[in-house]
Amino acid sequence: MSALVSIAEAAKSHAGKILLDVGALTLAAGDLIVLTGDNGSGKTTFLKMLAGLEEPDRLRLRFDGLEATQHGYPRELRRLIVYVHQHPYLFNTSIAENIRYGLRLRNLPEEVCARRTAEAIAWAGVGHLLGVEPRKLSGGEKQRVALARVKALEPRVLLVDEPTANLDAPARAQVIDLLRKTATGENCVIVACHDRELVELEGARRWHLVDGKIEA
Amino acid sequence: MTLLDATQQAFARLFAGDAELWRIVWISLKVSVSALLLATPFAVALGFWVASNRFPGRRLVIVLLQGLLSFPTVVVGLILYLLFSRSGPLGPWHLLFTQDAMIIGQAIIAFPVLSAFTLAAIHGADPRLRETAVSLGAGKLRSALTSLHEVRFAVIAGVLNGFGRVISEVGCSMMVGGNIAGFTRNIPTAIALETSKGDFAQGIALGVVLMVFALVVTALLAVVQTESVPR
Repeated sequence: MSALVSIAEAAKSHAGKILLDVGALTLAAGDLIVLTGDNGSGKTTFLKMLAGLEEPDRLRLRFDGLEATQHGYPRELRRLIVYVHQHPYLFNTSIAENIRYGLRLRNLPEEVCARRTAEAIAWAGVGHLLGVEPRKLSGGEKQRVALARVKALEPRVLLVDEPTANLDAPARAQVIDLLRKTATGENCVIVACHDRELVELEGARRWHLVDGKIEA
Repeated sequence: MTLLDATQQAFARLFAGDAELWRIVWISLKVSVSALLLATPFAVALGFWVASNRFPGRRLVIVLLQGLLSFPTVVVGLILYLLFSRSGPLGPWHLLFTQDAMIIGQAIIAFPVLSAFTLAAIHGADPRLRETAVSLGAGKLRSALTSLHEVRFAVIAGVLNGFGRVISEVGCSMMVGGNIAGFTRNIPTAIALETSKGDFAQGIALGVVLMVFALVVTALLAVVQTESVPR
């Protein structure tokens, strides 16, 4: 399978301590990668670095002719690689507007925004939540809205940080199902987690972070 | 004249639509709202920039902004008077004793209030907010606007506080406006003048208007602060 994303190196240290020192990894289309590691092992730092949200000491990442390094992260790449927080932040507006946010930034025609928003809402099964204020949603509901928000953007690489942490069993099952549906065709997903159900997910590749290094 | 008589006369003037009185109220509102319109974009931008960036001297800028919150308005007036007076460096602009000079003075007085509120709001905002906007594709300007939109109630609270400070300030308006009837006489300078003349009814009437403004601002602040409770 041809590489979708090639990571030559990704490194960061702080106050003399190596937080991350990763080299030579590839992601293929359709990959679902489960990234495990102890708390503080660098999972979040790694995902944020891949998404251009964390300043690296060294970075060489290639995707679709675009290259991100420690000197710069192309804006076009941000539109292809999207990160979702462990506890997603929802903007203080309606749920539909939250889902439409990234679509508006892409200057898509209004009818395309409306169609993709409606599709994402149906995909994540959050139609019944549309009238609810984001602050009143449960953790699982927020996670599903956040996944709908990125699904609408159709990113090629989705980076999800501990999506099932603190969720009850039904919410966890729904989120895992959504992740499985995302890692198809031309897309790939990296999920950082401790969740046993996710770790043992059929067909998933496993990366394990120890002291900032990945054991693939 | 007893206090009761003066108060009765004051309300009579208010309800009779006393032209001079309402002109003073209009000048006050016009000058203070113009000052806020002038100061808000720059002050909010500075507050956002200082809160979002790390640079040498940042702490000093923050201390300076906070110190300016209690800067005496009469000193602002004095500095502007020296700048705008005929022999001052800005004398040729002929701004002294005009509404424009009052607007500039009140904008300077409101500036640190607006900046400090914005700075505190952005500083206290959830760090995931900016990361989420950026990750969804927002550039620097758009993520800044999204952040400001998210903390809008705190910024509005800053604007209302700034309005409260400038609508009631007397020192700067008196010095650079000159308290010219029908032109630069606003509520605080008129109250000072009428009281010194012994026309307590006019002073009380204007004081009532000022207190109504204060109550409205306080009520709006209460609403805004309820809305800005962390989610």
